[in-house]
Amino acid sequence: MTAITSVPTVVVKRRIAAPAQTIFDAWLNPTSLAEWMRPCSSGTTRSTVKVDAREGGAFEIVMHVPSGPVRHTGIYQTIDAPRRLVFTWNSPHAGDNDSLVTVEFRPEGQATEVVITHERLPEVARNGHTAGWTEILESLAKQISD
Amino acid sequence: MVEYKSPSQSARIAANLDATFSAMADPTRRAILARLALADARVTEIAGDFSVSLNAVSKHIKILERAELVRRTVQGRDHILSLNADAMAGAAEWIDYYRRFWGDRLASLETFVINQRKSAKKGNRA
Repeated sequence: MTAITSVPTVVVKRRIAAPAQTIFDAWLNPTSLAEWMRPCSSGTTRSTVKVDAREGGAFEIVMHVPSGPVRHTGIYQTIDAPRRLVFTWNSPHAGDNDSLVTVEFRPEGQATEVVITHERLPEVARNGHTAGWTEILESLAKQISD
Repeated sequence: MVEYKSPSQSARIAANLDATFSAMADPTRRAILARLALADARVTEIAGDFSVSLNAVSKHIKILERAELVRRTVQGRDHILSLNADAMAGAAEWIDYYRRFWGDRLASLETFVINQRKSAKKGNRA
Protein backbone atom coordinates (compact mmCIF):
# COMPACT_ATOMS: atom_id res chain seq x y z
CA MET A 1 0.00 0.00 0.00
CA THR A 2 1.52 3.28 -1.07
CA ALA A 3 1.30 6.21 1.31
CA ILE A 4 1.12 8.70 -1.50
CA THR A 5 -1.74 11.08 -1.91
CA SER A 6 -2.34 11.65 -5.56
CA VAL A 7 -3.08 15.21 -6.45
CA PRO A 8 -4.98 16.87 -9.20
CA THR A 9 -3.19 19.24 -11.51
CA VAL A 10 -4.89 22.05 -13.33
CA VAL A 11 -3.20 23.48 -16.42
CA VAL A 12 -4.48 26.64 -18.05
CA LYS A 13 -2.85 28.34 -21.07
CA ARG A 14 -3.32 31.61 -22.87
CA ARG A 15 -1.46 33.27 -25.73
CA ILE A 16 -1.02 36.97 -25.07
CA ALA A 17 0.20 39.44 -27.70
CA ALA A 18 2.96 41.01 -25.60
CA PRO A 19 6.60 40.25 -24.75
CA ALA A 20 7.29 37.82 -21.89
CA GLN A 21 8.99 40.49 -19.78
CA THR A 22 5.93 42.78 -19.88
CA ILE A 23 3.62 39.98 -18.80
CA PHE A 24 6.05 38.70 -16.19
CA ASP A 25 6.29 42.18 -14.62
CA ALA A 26 2.50 42.37 -14.32
CA TRP A 27 2.67 39.47 -11.84
CA LEU A 28 5.14 41.08 -9.45
CA ASN A 29 4.31 44.78 -9.68
CA PRO A 30 1.70 45.32 -6.91
CA THR A 31 -0.14 48.10 -8.78
CA SER A 32 -0.46 45.93 -11.87
CA LEU A 33 -1.37 42.82 -9.89
CA ALA A 34 -4.13 44.66 -8.01
CA GLU A 35 -5.55 45.74 -11.35
CA TRP A 36 -5.95 42.37 -13.03
CA MET A 37 -5.90 39.80 -10.21
CA ARG A 38 -9.57 40.17 -9.37
CA PRO A 39 -12.75 38.29 -10.17
CA CYS A 40 -14.03 40.60 -12.92
CA SER A 41 -11.74 43.19 -14.40
CA SER A 42 -14.50 45.73 -15.04
CA GLY A 43 -16.89 47.20 -12.51
CA THR A 44 -15.40 45.64 -9.39
CA THR A 45 -13.00 47.04 -6.84
CA ARG A 46 -9.30 46.55 -7.36
CA SER A 47 -7.75 43.82 -5.23
CA THR A 48 -5.72 44.82 -2.19
CA VAL A 49 -2.21 43.56 -2.76
CA LYS A 50 1.00 43.24 -0.78
CA VAL A 51 4.02 41.87 -2.60
CA ASP A 52 7.50 41.08 -1.34
CA ALA A 53 8.90 40.21 -4.76
CA ARG A 54 11.88 38.07 -3.87
CA GLU A 55 12.37 34.32 -3.47
CA GLY A 56 11.12 33.48 0.01
CA GLY A 57 9.06 36.67 0.07
CA ALA A 58 5.35 36.61 0.84
CA PHE A 59 2.38 38.02 -1.01
CA GLU A 60 -1.19 38.71 -0.04
CA ILE A 61 -4.01 39.33 -2.46
CA VAL A 62 -7.41 40.26 -1.08
CA MET A 63 -10.06 39.95 -3.77
CA HIS A 64 -13.24 41.87 -3.21
CA VAL A 65 -16.23 39.82 -4.24
CA PRO A 66 -19.89 40.63 -3.54
CA SER A 67 -19.96 38.28 -0.52
CA GLY A 68 -16.93 40.02 1.06
CA PRO A 69 -13.13 40.03 0.93
CA VAL A 70 -11.34 36.78 0.08
CA ARG A 71 -7.72 36.53 1.14
CA HIS A 72 -5.13 34.62 -0.88
CA THR A 73 -1.59 34.26 0.38
CA GLY A 74 1.62 32.56 -0.65
CA ILE A 75 5.40 32.57 -0.77
CA TYR A 76 7.48 33.07 -3.90
CA GLN A 77 9.59 29.95 -4.48
CA THR A 78 11.23 30.81 -7.81
CA ILE A 79 11.48 34.16 -9.53
CA ASP A 80 13.22 33.55 -12.86
CA ALA A 81 12.42 36.62 -14.97
CA PRO A 82 11.01 36.53 -17.59
CA ARG A 83 10.67 32.76 -17.83
CA ARG A 84 9.19 31.21 -14.74
CA LEU A 85 7.44 32.12 -11.53
CA VAL A 86 6.65 29.60 -8.81
CA PHE A 87 4.71 30.36 -5.64
CA THR A 88 2.68 28.60 -3.00
CA TRP A 89 -0.99 29.45 -2.99
CA ASN A 90 -3.37 29.36 -0.10
CA SER A 91 -7.01 30.36 -0.30
CA PRO A 92 -10.08 29.68 1.83
CA HIS A 93 -11.38 27.49 -0.97
CA ALA A 94 -8.42 25.13 -0.92
CA GLY A 95 -8.73 24.27 2.78
CA ASP A 96 -5.65 24.31 5.00
CA ASN A 97 -3.22 22.84 2.52
CA ASP A 98 -0.87 24.99 0.51
CA SER A 99 -1.02 24.37 -3.18
CA LEU A 100 1.69 25.23 -5.69
CA VAL A 101 1.36 27.44 -8.73
CA THR A 102 3.91 27.55 -11.56
CA VAL A 103 3.59 30.23 -14.21
CA GLU A 104 5.66 29.79 -17.36
CA PHE A 105 6.19 32.45 -19.99
CA ARG A 106 7.04 30.95 -23.39
CA PRO A 107 7.92 33.40 -26.17
CA GLU A 108 6.13 32.71 -29.47
CA GLY A 109 7.34 35.28 -31.96
CA GLN A 110 5.91 38.63 -30.84
CA ALA A 111 3.55 36.96 -28.41
CA THR A 112 3.92 34.87 -25.27
CA GLU A 113 2.18 31.72 -24.21
CA VAL A 114 1.42 31.88 -20.50
CA VAL A 115 0.98 28.48 -18.88
CA ILE A 116 -0.34 28.15 -15.34
CA THR A 117 0.06 24.82 -13.61
CA HIS A 118 -1.71 24.56 -10.29
CA GLU A 119 -0.87 21.55 -8.20
CA ARG A 120 -2.13 20.63 -4.82
CA LEU A 121 0.86 19.33 -2.98
CA PRO A 122 0.46 15.97 -1.31
CA GLU A 123 1.06 16.02 2.40
CA VAL A 124 2.98 12.77 2.52
CA ALA A 125 5.30 12.85 -0.45
CA ARG A 126 5.80 14.82 -3.58
CA ASN A 127 6.44 11.86 -5.82
CA GLY A 128 3.58 9.83 -7.12
CA HIS A 129 1.59 9.18 -10.19
CA THR A 130 -0.54 12.19 -10.82
CA ALA A 131 -0.52 11.70 -14.56
CA GLY A 132 -3.58 10.15 -16.00
CA TRP A 133 -5.99 10.65 -13.22
CA THR A 134 -7.28 14.00 -14.40
CA GLU A 135 -8.36 12.40 -17.66
CA ILE A 136 -10.00 9.56 -15.85
CA LEU A 137 -11.78 11.93 -13.53
CA GLU A 138 -12.98 13.96 -16.46
CA SER A 139 -14.17 11.00 -18.43
CA LEU A 140 -15.96 9.66 -15.38
CA ALA A 141 -17.54 13.04 -14.70
CA LYS A 142 -18.65 13.18 -18.31
CA GLN A 143 -20.23 9.78 -18.16
CA ILE A 144 -21.97 10.74 -14.95
CA SER A 145 -23.39 13.96 -16.34
CA ASP A 146 -24.51 12.35 -19.64
CA MET B 1 -17.48 34.53 -12.21
CA VAL B 2 -16.08 32.34 -9.51
CA GLU B 3 -18.10 31.49 -6.44
CA TYR B 4 -16.51 31.38 -3.04
CA LYS B 5 -17.54 29.04 -0.30
CA SER B 6 -17.49 29.66 3.44
CA PRO B 7 -14.42 28.37 5.35
CA SER B 8 -16.38 25.61 7.18
CA GLN B 9 -17.87 24.44 3.91
CA SER B 10 -14.40 24.51 2.38
CA ALA B 11 -12.86 22.46 5.20
CA ARG B 12 -15.52 19.79 4.80
CA ILE B 13 -15.06 19.76 1.04
CA ALA B 14 -11.28 19.56 1.49
CA ALA B 15 -11.62 16.56 3.84
CA ASN B 16 -13.87 14.77 1.35
CA LEU B 17 -11.50 15.58 -1.48
CA ASP B 18 -8.52 14.19 0.43
CA ALA B 19 -10.34 10.86 0.75
CA THR B 20 -11.41 10.95 -2.88
CA PHE B 21 -8.01 11.84 -4.25
CA SER B 22 -6.04 9.41 -2.09
CA ALA B 23 -8.45 6.62 -3.06
CA MET B 24 -7.78 7.51 -6.68
CA ALA B 25 -4.00 7.53 -6.23
CA ASP B 26 -3.75 3.88 -7.19
CA PRO B 27 -3.88 2.68 -10.82
CA THR B 28 -5.82 -0.49 -9.96
CA ARG B 29 -8.44 1.53 -8.11
CA ARG B 30 -8.72 3.97 -11.02
CA ALA B 31 -9.21 1.01 -13.34
CA ILE B 32 -11.93 -0.35 -11.04
CA LEU B 33 -13.69 3.03 -11.15
CA ALA B 34 -13.40 3.16 -14.94
CA ARG B 35 -14.86 -0.35 -15.09
CA LEU B 36 -17.77 0.60 -12.82
CA ALA B 37 -18.40 3.73 -14.86
CA LEU B 38 -19.44 1.38 -17.68
CA ALA B 39 -21.76 -0.78 -15.60
CA ASP B 40 -22.33 -2.15 -12.11
CA ALA B 41 -20.39 -5.33 -11.41
CA ARG B 42 -20.01 -8.14 -8.92
CA VAL B 43 -16.88 -8.22 -6.77
CA THR B 44 -15.94 -11.54 -8.40
CA GLU B 45 -16.31 -10.03 -11.88
CA ILE B 46 -14.00 -7.18 -10.95
CA ALA B 47 -11.45 -9.65 -9.58
CA GLY B 48 -11.65 -11.58 -12.86
CA ASP B 49 -10.95 -8.43 -14.87
CA PHE B 50 -7.71 -7.73 -13.07
CA SER B 51 -4.85 -10.13 -12.63
CA VAL B 52 -4.79 -9.78 -8.87
CA SER B 53 -6.18 -11.95 -6.11
CA LEU B 54 -9.74 -11.62 -4.85
CA ASN B 55 -8.25 -10.60 -1.52
CA ALA B 56 -6.26 -7.76 -3.08
CA VAL B 57 -9.26 -6.58 -5.07
CA SER B 58 -11.39 -6.62 -1.91
CA LYS B 59 -8.90 -4.31 -0.19
CA HIS B 60 -8.98 -1.86 -3.08
CA ILE B 61 -12.76 -1.92 -3.11
CA LYS B 62 -12.91 -1.25 0.64
CA ILE B 63 -10.77 1.87 0.16
CA LEU B 64 -13.06 3.03 -2.63
CA GLU B 65 -16.09 2.40 -0.42
CA ARG B 66 -14.60 4.39 2.46
CA ALA B 67 -14.07 7.30 0.06
CA GLU B 68 -17.72 6.78 -0.93
CA LEU B 69 -16.68 6.44 -4.54
CA VAL B 70 -18.18 2.97 -4.70
CA ARG B 71 -21.36 1.55 -3.19
CA ARG B 72 -22.06 -2.07 -2.43
CA THR B 73 -25.47 -3.71 -2.60
CA VAL B 74 -25.86 -7.26 -1.31
CA GLN B 75 -28.30 -9.41 -3.31
CA GLY B 76 -28.28 -12.89 -1.82
CA ARG B 77 -24.77 -14.21 -2.39
CA ASP B 78 -23.84 -11.46 -4.81
CA HIS B 79 -22.15 -8.26 -3.81
CA ILE B 80 -22.94 -5.73 -6.54
CA LEU B 81 -20.70 -2.68 -6.82
CA SER B 82 -21.72 0.60 -8.36
CA LEU B 83 -20.08 3.96 -8.87
CA ASN B 84 -21.28 6.78 -6.63
CA ALA B 85 -21.66 9.79 -8.88
CA ASP B 86 -21.99 12.33 -6.06
CA ALA B 87 -18.52 11.68 -4.64
CA MET B 88 -17.04 12.12 -8.11
CA ALA B 89 -18.89 15.36 -8.64
CA GLY B 90 -17.12 17.01 -5.68
CA ALA B 91 -13.74 16.19 -7.14
CA ALA B 92 -14.71 17.28 -10.65
CA GLU B 93 -16.08 20.55 -9.28
CA TRP B 94 -12.80 21.21 -7.45
CA ILE B 95 -10.82 20.90 -10.67
CA ASP B 96 -13.33 22.96 -12.58
CA TYR B 97 -13.16 25.71 -9.97
CA TYR B 98 -9.44 26.29 -10.51
CA ARG B 99 -9.66 25.90 -14.24
CA ARG B 100 -12.23 28.70 -14.35
CA PHE B 101 -10.37 30.75 -11.72
CA TRP B 102 -7.08 30.83 -13.64
CA GLY B 103 -8.85 31.08 -16.99
CA ASP B 104 -10.60 34.24 -15.77
CA ARG B 105 -7.38 35.67 -14.31
CA LEU B 106 -5.44 35.09 -17.53
CA ALA B 107 -8.18 36.80 -19.54
CA SER B 108 -7.99 39.88 -17.35
CA LEU B 109 -4.16 39.78 -17.38
CA GLU B 110 -4.34 39.92 -21.17
CA THR B 111 -6.74 42.87 -21.10
CA PHE B 112 -4.48 44.65 -18.64
CA VAL B 113 -1.23 44.08 -20.56
CA ILE B 114 -2.75 45.02 -23.93
CA ASN B 115 -4.29 48.24 -22.54
CA GLN B 116 -1.02 49.12 -20.84
CA ARG B 117 0.86 48.75 -24.12
CA LYS B 118 -1.72 50.83 -25.99
CA SER B 119 -1.45 53.71 -23.53
CA ALA B 120 2.36 53.46 -23.54
CA LYS B 121 2.33 53.84 -27.35
CA LYS B 122 0.02 56.86 -27.11
CA GLY B 123 2.36 58.34 -24.49
CA ASN B 124 5.35 57.93 -26.81
CA ARG B 125 3.62 59.74 -29.66
CA ALA B 126 2.52 62.68 -27.53
